[in-house]
Amino acid sequence: MKRLPLAILFFLVPSWIFAQDDLMNLLDQNDPKEINFTTATFKSTRILNGHSIEKMAPGQLDFRISHRFGRINSGAYNFYGLDQSNVHFSLEYGILKWLMVGIGRGTYEKTFDGSAKFTVLRQSTGARIMPISLSIFSSVALKTLKPNDPTITNYFSSRLSYVGQALIARKINQSFSIQISPTYVHRNLVATELDPNDLLSIGAGGRMKLSKRVSLNAEYYYLANPKTYLSQKVYNPLSVGFDIETGGHVFQLFFTNSLAMIEKGFIGETTGTWTKADIHFGFNISRVFNLKKHKKPEIL
Amino acid sequence: MKRIIIFLGTITLALTMFVSCYYDNEEALYPSFNTTCDTTNVTFSVTIVSVLNNNCYSCHSNATATSTGSNIPLENYADVVTMSARIIGSVKHIGSFSPMPKNGGKLKACSINQLDIWIRNGMLNN
Repeated sequence: MKRLPLAILFFLVPSWIFAQDDLMNLLDQNDPKEINFTTATFKSTRILNGHSIEKMAPGQLDFRISHRFGRINSGAYNFYGLDQSNVHFSLEYGILKWLMVGIGRGTYEKTFDGSAKFTVLRQSTGARIMPISLSIFSSVALKTLKPNDPTITNYFSSRLSYVGQALIARKINQSFSIQISPTYVHRNLVATELDPNDLLSIGAGGRMKLSKRVSLNAEYYYLANPKTYLSQKVYNPLSVGFDIETGGHVFQLFFTNSLAMIEKGFIGETTGTWTKADIHFGFNISRVFNLKKHKKPEIL
Repeated sequence: MKRIIIFLGTITLALTMFVSCYYDNEEALYPSFNTTCDTTNVTFSVTIVSVLNNNCYSCHSNATATSTGSNIPLENYADVVTMSARIIGSVKHIGSFSPMPKNGGKLKACSINQLDIWIRNGMLNN
């Protein structure tokens, strides 16, 4: 009885050798039974201001430095806004194939933030056809700017705000991708009774490749809450700019009417408008470090 | 299995964060904001200096102005008088004035009113 498996093995060996050839052939023919995941829907984890569906692969750390300068209409004396700068630093790390976490600190209201991005669906062809990619993004921001009046009790809860986003994207062809991002923002403390604590917004963004290394990006967030009674006049943020990829770095250079680099700020607190040239020049620099040296990086 | 545990763990964590949601606004949370806007007794030494102190001196004090405040100090009475038109334009976020404060947000309406009143009353050094 014991010899039987051995015998089978012997018979199988030659067929394996042939089978290997077959497999190679099949690979060449691009076997329709395999799932072909769509990669590089966007070049980096941000479209411009807001998040894209892209994540870091497991073991990869993304160090981002972002700047938004002052308003372009502030004149030549202020070098068209470049004298004043707002910074946001962040570290984002891919833990699992479907999970990325990040921490950051920004000048805008001296805010610390923590975030997580989950992959739910990945656009694919072949054995499984999935027309879209879907990621869920969630973040908590802690404002540490001292209140105007130092005598009041500054509650910890008052300084928190939350963001939940569903990021739905489709890479239509090699050079064109679009994304829709329904967004929910909750602010624990607002200025007046008429200001909403909950903000609902829908974002739309896209990328068009101009060359192998350069792409044109645009992004717009529509704030669904009525803006009539807010204590501060706010506008919908619109950003237009370029992605420039140089080996290992992604530079994003763009113009936007929002100053903040976190969702709570640019969706709910954009006070500038394009029509009055309240435009900020901004850039994001992304540098990816591979912390898992022994494994080949997996492109997601 | 591991994947499910991590997923549920993260969801739970996210939910606990949302449970601690508050629906506060400054008017309700700090009733003093509405009642104590003193617009009759506005003086430079008390009212205006405290507004400037709370909002401007982190960049525009005599010590910091050259490095962070575009060389516009606002500590001395004479400096404030010289800059008054630009201060008002900036805090009200009017037209081509550089909007202030720089880290987002606007001053409380009460503080802006007090600055307005002090200027309208002739910018007395009282």
